[in-house]
Amino acid sequence: MEFDTSKMEVIAKRSNKVIYRCGDYTVKVFDKDFSKADILNEALNTARVEETGLPIAKVQQVTMIDGKWAIVYDYIEGTTLAELMEKNPDKLDEYLDLFVDLQLEIQSKRARLLNKLKDKMERKISETGLDATTRYELDARLAGMKKHVKICHGDFNPSNIIITPEGKAYVLDWSHVTQGNGAADAARTFLLFSLEGKTELADKYMKLYCKKSDTAMQYVQQWLPIVAASQSVKGKPEEREFLLKWVNVVEYQ
Amino acid sequence: MADYRIVDSVEALEEKLAEVKAAQRIFATFTQEQVDKIFLAAATAANMARLPLAKMAVEETGMGVVEDKVIKNNYAAEYIYNAYKDTKTCGVIEEDKAFGTKRIAEPIGVVAAVIPTTNPTSTAIFKTLICLKTRNGIIISPHPRAKKSTIAAAKLVLEAAVKAGAPEGIIGWIDVPSLEMTNLVMKEADIILATGGPGMVKAAYSSGKPALGVGAGNTPAIIDKSADILLAVNSIIHSKTFDNGMICASEQSVIVDKEIYDAVRAEFAARGCYFLKDDEKDKVRKTMIINGSLNAKIVGQKPVTIAALAGVEVPEETKVLIGEVESVDISEEFAHEKLSPVLAMYRSEDFEDALAKAEQLIADGGYGHTSSLYCNALTETDKISEFSARMKTCRILVNTPSSHGGIGDIYNFKLAPSLTLGCGSWGGNSVSENVGVKHLLNIKTVAERRENMLWFRAPEKVYIKKGCLPVALDELKNVMGKKKVFIVTDQFLYKNGYTKGITDKLDEMGIVHATFFDVAPDPTLACALEGVKQMRAFEPDCIIAVGGGSAMDAGKIMWVLYEHPDADFKDMAMRFMDIRKRVYTFPKMGEKAYFIAVPTSAGTGSEVTPFAVITDDEGIKYPLADYQLMPNMAIVDADMQMTAPRGLTSASGIDAMSHALEAYVSVMATDYTDGLALQAIKTIFDYLPTCYDDGNNQPFAREKMANAATLAGMAFANAFLGINHSLAHKLGAYHHIAHGIANALVLTHVMRFNAAEVPTKMGTFSQYDHPKTLRRYAEIAEYLGIGGADDNEKLEGLIAKLEELKEKIGIKKTIADYGVSEEDFLATLDEMSENAFDDQCTGANPRYPLISELKEIYRKAYYGE
Repeated sequence: MEFDTSKMEVIAKRSNKVIYRCGDYTVKVFDKDFSKADILNEALNTARVEETGLPIAKVQQVTMIDGKWAIVYDYIEGTTLAELMEKNPDKLDEYLDLFVDLQLEIQSKRARLLNKLKDKMERKISETGLDATTRYELDARLAGMKKHVKICHGDFNPSNIIITPEGKAYVLDWSHVTQGNGAADAARTFLLFSLEGKTELADKYMKLYCKKSDTAMQYVQQWLPIVAASQSVKGKPEEREFLLKWVNVVEYQ
Repeated sequence: MADYRIVDSVEALEEKLAEVKAAQRIFATFTQEQVDKIFLAAATAANMARLPLAKMAVEETGMGVVEDKVIKNNYAAEYIYNAYKDTKTCGVIEEDKAFGTKRIAEPIGVVAAVIPTTNPTSTAIFKTLICLKTRNGIIISPHPRAKKSTIAAAKLVLEAAVKAGAPEGIIGWIDVPSLEMTNLVMKEADIILATGGPGMVKAAYSSGKPALGVGAGNTPAIIDKSADILLAVNSIIHSKTFDNGMICASEQSVIVDKEIYDAVRAEFAARGCYFLKDDEKDKVRKTMIINGSLNAKIVGQKPVTIAALAGVEVPEETKVLIGEVESVDISEEFAHEKLSPVLAMYRSEDFEDALAKAEQLIADGGYGHTSSLYCNALTETDKISEFSARMKTCRILVNTPSSHGGIGDIYNFKLAPSLTLGCGSWGGNSVSENVGVKHLLNIKTVAERRENMLWFRAPEKVYIKKGCLPVALDELKNVMGKKKVFIVTDQFLYKNGYTKGITDKLDEMGIVHATFFDVAPDPTLACALEGVKQMRAFEPDCIIAVGGGSAMDAGKIMWVLYEHPDADFKDMAMRFMDIRKRVYTFPKMGEKAYFIAVPTSAGTGSEVTPFAVITDDEGIKYPLADYQLMPNMAIVDADMQMTAPRGLTSASGIDAMSHALEAYVSVMATDYTDGLALQAIKTIFDYLPTCYDDGNNQPFAREKMANAATLAGMAFANAFLGINHSLAHKLGAYHHIAHGIANALVLTHVMRFNAAEVPTKMGTFSQYDHPKTLRRYAEIAEYLGIGGADDNEKLEGLIAKLEELKEKIGIKKTIADYGVSEEDFLATLDEMSENAFDDQCTGANPRYPLISELKEIYRKAYYGE
């Protein structure tokens, strides 16, 4: 397969990558300074998730285009769940239902070779640049969490879900996937909604997730300081104050 | 400490650990005097530094109140010193020479101590002091927020300790703390003293080392309508404001009975507490708790500061912020632990409602920690009991400020002073009490071998001599003043006039009597119940059992049922290892009737034994054994035995022989029973053949045999029997062989088995120190004058003499000879062997048998091998 970016349709532009459509494929072209290891990791992660049979855009190629690393995925025709939620507010409950079911389906799968969520969180905490006291509190909190092996998408939000015209849902962007505690993934989703200012939707999501997964809400909440800290690493500067407020809490004693 | 190396990396920490371990090895050799000197010096130094340390802690952490931290530091030094200054923690701490036990205290090694931000100096003082007192080394992992003050406290204690003679480096710490290093310390230490939140406690427990962790508290305080309101409210304010509410035992919620709610509220308000208005409550909620977690910014802050953070204006000097709320669910922010002077207040409908609320608050996040009740402790003891029963907390405080009360020795002087409060399994902890020096010691117990106390018990009166019966009975009237006598016997004896001598004498004395003469061999429960029915109607004050084992046993059982109608034989017959440690307590006998036994054969010895066997309707035998079953009086009169038939003479005579032999080799044999047993054995050898051949005309031989049977009875009443009887009991039951004959058939096989110098297993009894039964049989042979070059020959001589005796009195050689078919025998062999193994008599046998070994004995006895 030969790809010529000049002839491909740009779907999205991010700070360090451009996403094109090329017929039946989506081509993610990374900037030159993007970590090669991260790119290959994304492809490997996706391949591992493919093996579980989850409905995802499969990796077709990892290649170089104009001297840049690129990953070629299947193109999934359809609309993102985020757009649908925006367009049909009356159907929000229905969409949220589907959203949580999809997340729980992912969490029901196992891929034992994926990276571990706890390791990743530990690394992220050390990268936050927070003071020693706060990191100590976060590390202690993380150490006390239960170790699970559920697949956690790591960036599960409606914009990463495509609904095909036939109504089938596909989940995209597995670059952050790990295996670990599902409550952490739910906390991440709650945080993503909250960061967008959708507080009401965040609360609604939290309740529905806890109900469907039979999880105590405080169990999910316990992860919030940790996921907020990890989000602050890659996060936008304007979000930092908000995130740190979530981070600066103490354990009971 | 000029060459002190900062512990800021894993390598430096490894080095520090090695240093503390080395110091501890030296410290472990210190005497109590040396240790106590160090303990005093360290406590004194810590106490003197209470104010600078308190200031440093508040300055560094920005939390709490200097003056209150002074109290905590002072407490940690003074109260801990006072509580343990005289406690023995080195070497032998307890000795009991009579029992041969010693308790020796040893240090555990190196303690990993995790110190929280809330009490950075006092906890450091507390933990270092208890480690010094117990000769342990300690490595402190401070919280990064409070590391300077924690380290300062530890350093100060270390310097004072070293000056007083402690090894250099006995206390260490991490200078630049991180969770990685904390985890390493916990992994490398010998035990963990973790104070901190659930994450830290979980980390401690997952380190794989024993941990004394403590968990979170969420103390509810109930104010009952009977409470002294002034005392309750002011105690709670005092406690809640202490160090700005950072003590983990501090009250988080107060639950007030509706009848006194307004009065309590008014008192809180009058004493400077601020009741938040509805909109203010919401603001404070959002400030205190972020996504279900406690905002770090409010911990240990003044109420006015917290209010300001929430955008609420309250008077500068406000003591406590109170939110009047309804829900005790975790979704209510005020229901959480707040680590600050913020309090939730609930209105309860009644005491039950208050309990239910308190239970939920504890479930929300305070399992195992502390709960508090205010009530009238004199009149409301039921409420205190109910509260104590319902709260799943390890400290239950009554009319006490919980911050000060929980740490002990301030408001109650038996609650151990401590700054580490165990929360039990509810809080995921290994201890449920206040942690102290005993938790940092390994206690060795040295136990020297001691021998069991034994005893000798017999009826209070044993009357002997041919013709003594009427003389002995005279006492019934003249000494005891008995009025009604109930006689138990069997039909044969009754019809042949054996009881006539007794009834004539009773008539002569004017004592009323009745006779039950329906005792059958192997007396059944039904028979005993029938006898008891008559007995109850008659209401005797004396029972005389006349006959062989059956009549005397039946008499004993009727006696039990007469005195204790509700007695359960299943309980009474429960097998025991030691009659003095048995689970069942036998009912007291002799309250209604005096029990006299008169044997008519020689004999079971039942007249002097604490045993009786009863068979229930389904044929199950219940062997009962308890000294309560011992007759009060035995009358051994050969006149009652003169005409015993040959078969009975032979079977009961050899039974008596087996009693004496088993008692002599029993693990419980004593000098007292040995004399009786030897005399019985010799007498039976000498006189049994004569009684068998010509009993009716040999009064002297009969008297000798009567005495021999009773002597043997006394021997085994105290030394017990062995597997000879275990085997005989089951052989008799399965194949209907008379008890004495069954004993005779296995007798010599059992002796060879017991005499083994290399038994598979020997009996478990302190006195039985090595396999010595061969020697014991040889002693019998020597007493009888049987020669032999060694003990084996003596044993064989004894066995030959027994075989000769058996032949003389007409006992056949094998089980087969008694008409048991091989087919029947083999069909029952396994079950019989297993049941014989489980017989009560097996326990005192000098050789502990395997079931297969018992089976082999049966086989030999059957085939005559």
